[in-house]
Amino acid sequence: MKSVRNLYVIVTSVVAGSLFAEGLARWYYSGTGEGLRFAGYVFVWPVCYFVAAVGVILLGWYWLRLVRGVTSVAQQLREKQSSCIKPSSNKIVNELSEAINKHFGGNGSYIEELEKQIKDSQLKIQLLRRQKRNTDAIIYSIRDAVIVIDEFDKLLMANEAAGKLFNFDYKSSQHKPINELVSSEETKAGENEFVNFLCQSRQNKVRHTRREIDFSNENRSKTFDCIVSCVYGEEERVCGVVAVLHDITREKEISQMKNDFVNHVSHELKTPLASISAYSEMLVDGEADDEQTRKEFYSVIQSQAKRLNRLIEDILNTSRIESGLIKVEKRPVSLTILMEEQLQMIRSYAEEKNIKLIGQKPIVFDQVYADKDMISEVIINLLSNAVKYTPCGGSIKIEMEVDEIAGLARVSVTDTGVGIPKDEIEHVFDKFYRVGANKKQAEGTGLGLNLVKQIVEKVHNGRVFVTSEPGAGSTFGFELPLATAEAVKT
Amino acid sequence: MAERKVLVADDEIHIIHVVTIKLRNNGYEVISAENGAEAFALACEEKPDIIVTDYQMPGMTGLELVRKLRQNETTKDIPVIMLTARGFAVEDKEKEELEISELLSKPFSPKELLRSIEDILYQKAVMRNK
Repeated sequence: MKSVRNLYVIVTSVVAGSLFAEGLARWYYSGTGEGLRFAGYVFVWPVCYFVAAVGVILLGWYWLRLVRGVTSVAQQLREKQSSCIKPSSNKIVNELSEAINKHFGGNGSYIEELEKQIKDSQLKIQLLRRQKRNTDAIIYSIRDAVIVIDEFDKLLMANEAAGKLFNFDYKSSQHKPINELVSSEETKAGENEFVNFLCQSRQNKVRHTRREIDFSNENRSKTFDCIVSCVYGEEERVCGVVAVLHDITREKEISQMKNDFVNHVSHELKTPLASISAYSEMLVDGEADDEQTRKEFYSVIQSQAKRLNRLIEDILNTSRIESGLIKVEKRPVSLTILMEEQLQMIRSYAEEKNIKLIGQKPIVFDQVYADKDMISEVIINLLSNAVKYTPCGGSIKIEMEVDEIAGLARVSVTDTGVGIPKDEIEHVFDKFYRVGANKKQAEGTGLGLNLVKQIVEKVHNGRVFVTSEPGAGSTFGFELPLATAEAVKT
Repeated sequence: MAERKVLVADDEIHIIHVVTIKLRNNGYEVISAENGAEAFALACEEKPDIIVTDYQMPGMTGLELVRKLRQNETTKDIPVIMLTARGFAVEDKEKEELEISELLSKPFSPKELLRSIEDILYQKAVMRNK
């Protein structure tokens, strides 16, 4: 409206000025005098100039405003305020502002959308990074060795356990060929076998497969259960392989020990059984000609049956103690009294062989906190072994002492038997171990001393000991905590 | 016909005793040893026709005894029967390599042992006469 008004003023002024000038000119040329011509010069032309000047000024002012409006719009655009250019008093500028606002208003929402998407993507990236960090932390903390390779048999990731096992830096070995990292010409068969297993699993596209592989180093050999799984990408294409290696060395050792134990037990059981079976067959077939031979055969069968029974009892007792199933009733008991009871039991056997039993005077304050039956079993085992392996006419000395400072009671049984060779002495408490030279002298299961060790050390927290001089005799004994020392502990 | 000599090696005296009676009753001369080393020495000295040995003995095992016998010129051809209380203790490959004629599991039958000894000695005699 303002511009229309301005235009109206300009046009009206120009038209009015022109009409006034024309009127004056007509009046002058219609025959008036010189005064009028002078008036024409003095008044008409200045009025005409004035009117024209006013028109030019108004036009200039108008264009100036237009330029200012456009400059302001440009300024606002430069300052990135595109979405909110201020309305102007100038109609043209206003239209321009509105057009720009409209244009950038549409793009603005698009930009906003893009900015939102960028923010979302950044959040997703952060989330994924955090998830990857968590996954890495989980994989790194796994005790089993984990190795991941890509479709080109290059390392994607490995954890600390894998680095340790194959001796490479697990943090900086990414994208290195797995065969260079794990195996080389110098490495042993186990490492090479593992790499081949990994590559073959990928080539054969086996989903899951496992193999036991032995890795040996300078110190020892270790067995690992290697589980290899292929990672499938698009179109069932194998894009990597994950290998998890679990150390099963201990399990294998335990399994081997169990197998050895079963083999040993079966051997020990079959030995008396073989005698019983053979002698029975001989009797049935009438191979024992006279009564004396028959009696001898019956006697062997009986002794071997007893041996078999004793062996089964010993195996069961050892097994019960090892598994903790045996009922233990501990209370203060006097070692002197227990020793006296067991000496009474062994006395007749010793007299048969003319073996002298040398005891000692009862000692006081010898009470130990123990299961009476179990310690009786320990004492009778030591005494019967001493009698068994001492030649006729020998002697057995029983000594008991109390070490109040250490809080221990010590029992030792010394015989004048055949003794034990030095290289065998460390094995005498082993399960089924029998000293080679002593086998001829007496029968045994090889479990008695192991049972003694289990009862003293495992059940009563004591200690067994042995010293021996081949040809001169042996000393077997044990130490148990005194009842007073146990009471102080509890 | 000369008495055939059998060497019995076992650390169980009852087994030696029962095998000795069975074989003596059937016309064999029996010599015995309670460990591998003693058995080897006796085999070299007495040159028995056949050896019956236990698998597990203190010191030298039955397998080690046979290996040593096979390396010795005077004892390398003596047939061996091995008694074992351990299942699968001797692999077929070892049995073949060491030319062990027969493996008998404990508990064993003395009758069966006698039959095996007779079969092996018969085959040996046939081979010698060829």
